[in-house]
Amino acid sequence: MAQEEKSRSGCGSSSSTILQFLPFNSLVDEGFWHSLSSLKLNKYGIDDSPIPLTGFYAPCSHSQVSNHLTLLAESLPTDENNQSSMPAISRGNRNRCPVPGTLYNTNTLEAFHALDKKSLLKEEANKIWEDIHTGRAVEDSAVLSRFLLISFADLKKWSFHYWFAFPALVLDPPATLVESKRASKWFTSEQAKSVSAACNDWRNSSITADVPFFLVSIASNSHATIRHLKDWEACQADNQKVLFGFYDPCHEKGPGWPLRNFLALICSRWSLKSVHFLCYRESRGFADMESSLVIESLITASQGLNDRQLVPNAVGWEKNKNKYVSRCINLAKSMDPIRLAVSAA
Amino acid sequence: MVLSQRIHEAFKGTVERMTGPRTVSAFKEKGVLSVSEFILAGDNLVSKCPTWSWESGEPSKRKPYLPAEKQFLITRNVPCLRRAASVEEEYEAAGGEVLLDNEDDDGWLATHGKPKETKGDEDENVPSMEALEISAKKSLIQTNPSYFGGEEEEDIPDMEDFEDPDNLVESDPATLQTTYLVAHEPDDDNILRTRTYDVSITYDKYYQTPRVWLTGYDESRMLLQPELVLEDVSQDHAHKTVTIEDHPHLPGKHASVHPCQHGAVMKKIIDVLMSRGVEPEVDKYLFLFLKFVASVIPTIEYDYTMDFDLGSSSS
Repeated sequence: MAQEEKSRSGCGSSSSTILQFLPFNSLVDEGFWHSLSSLKLNKYGIDDSPIPLTGFYAPCSHSQVSNHLTLLAESLPTDENNQSSMPAISRGNRNRCPVPGTLYNTNTLEAFHALDKKSLLKEEANKIWEDIHTGRAVEDSAVLSRFLLISFADLKKWSFHYWFAFPALVLDPPATLVESKRASKWFTSEQAKSVSAACNDWRNSSITADVPFFLVSIASNSHATIRHLKDWEACQADNQKVLFGFYDPCHEKGPGWPLRNFLALICSRWSLKSVHFLCYRESRGFADMESSLVIESLITASQGLNDRQLVPNAVGWEKNKNKYVSRCINLAKSMDPIRLAVSAA
Repeated sequence: MVLSQRIHEAFKGTVERMTGPRTVSAFKEKGVLSVSEFILAGDNLVSKCPTWSWESGEPSKRKPYLPAEKQFLITRNVPCLRRAASVEEEYEAAGGEVLLDNEDDDGWLATHGKPKETKGDEDENVPSMEALEISAKKSLIQTNPSYFGGEEEEDIPDMEDFEDPDNLVESDPATLQTTYLVAHEPDDDNILRTRTYDVSITYDKYYQTPRVWLTGYDESRMLLQPELVLEDVSQDHAHKTVTIEDHPHLPGKHASVHPCQHGAVMKKIIDVLMSRGVEPEVDKYLFLFLKFVASVIPTIEYDYTMDFDLGSSSS
């Protein structure tokens, strides 16, 4: 597979093949817009300060479609009067790994278009960078994948203009791809079996089911264990083979977008040069070593990554039909009381 | 929603408010479920097919007879690679299984193509459904694929108008440039086939059966108008048993398989199993139910194909 990749991209030596990532995509449930409208009307009014959000994703579970960062009604803070309200999210749902985000909802379409997207993205990227350097990202890996949503809710027409960004820290120079293989091919069959079983246990426990970044350590007797990122030093002491695993939302050759900030964490915290990743994917809700990938990558960009003041460049605004443009959805059919009355008659 | 459907809803709502939930099992006798059996079967579905999970939905819509955290079941982001109508044509041409939908063969599959004789009165045992007019017209299929820029929303500006004043362009060698067109099958009308669905199962207190709801998204993951969901419903059902109604736990209108015949169909499936010497277990109800639902939504690939024991077999 790696051979294929190289010849296809026309790059001769393995060291010059850039490791590329498939962008994350968003999906917004109708309930989110209903909740946002009611919050805007009943609570926020014209207050346009940023609103904390929780998005959800899960590893890819169908070979034909990628998973998306999904916003639901529960993604917003609750309607109640407690001021510092964060979205009330119950942890432990394996199909809903929480991702923290920020919503900037403007009062006019002009203000929406006038938002300084570059600096908003930078601001969100700074949070990721801070969490990498303070070690928070190792304790709670969900903060590695943040997102940003800008919107204008036109409550007179029941239409919503919006644009997502999934900030990713850019390594300079980029990491290179050495080898990418199906996990079933890369592991021995004994290891693959043990990795599958360990991943299934991880996903079935309500404590770890929604922890999207983890370590896969494989002992010399092929026995695999999944461990938290904070156990990295312990894994080293045991002299085991360690892979960096993450829930990969994408179904294609991949790897998916969440790996980017993980990569930044790995090289700034542990200064590793050669790294193996497990892009973890599922089939029908169970670990699938056929669609999961093991990627070997070389990191050359460690200079500067140890410097907390030097925030790397960030990218990640979502494209809409291959263009950098916002999206718009009109929900008059399900929200406009006049239309609802007409359709009910 | 037409008037007769509305009246039926009002009637059903009143009955639901005035009668208590079923507590005595009538699973084998009537093919229906009590509330506790629904929870039991739902727990089993979630543990065997982990892409399904329990959710609590909108707090204001919570049903008191169901646990707060187990109001309904849902599986999200289920691929639907092509439209049911095109599949049916191919299938019938190939002499495949076809849903028999007349009085005697309620909801069963013919395995060798469409039966030659079809009765003219096949709709008559579906009460209150004839009056439903669901517009799954061909013209609708060709245009207006999502909520984006519906023809009646003239005031939605053209995409080009959204082009950003500061011309946001991100150049980054590590971003894989994906092509937007990701259809698995080329087709001459250029409509992309890969939609996704959120499939949910609620408990219908009136009919005492589970009920399936569909929320569709187009290939760029924009919400589909419920009417367009009917393209992914078996054409035998699209005009009568699949209706567009308010979801009991979520906001908005969603397509749903009307549950008025569910009990009778499940009863027949159970009878057939019992006649084969299989003792059906109530916690497997939703697997049987989803297999039956597969005949209504043949192209939506939700998780129902797992191998399972239908029950303790005495043979």
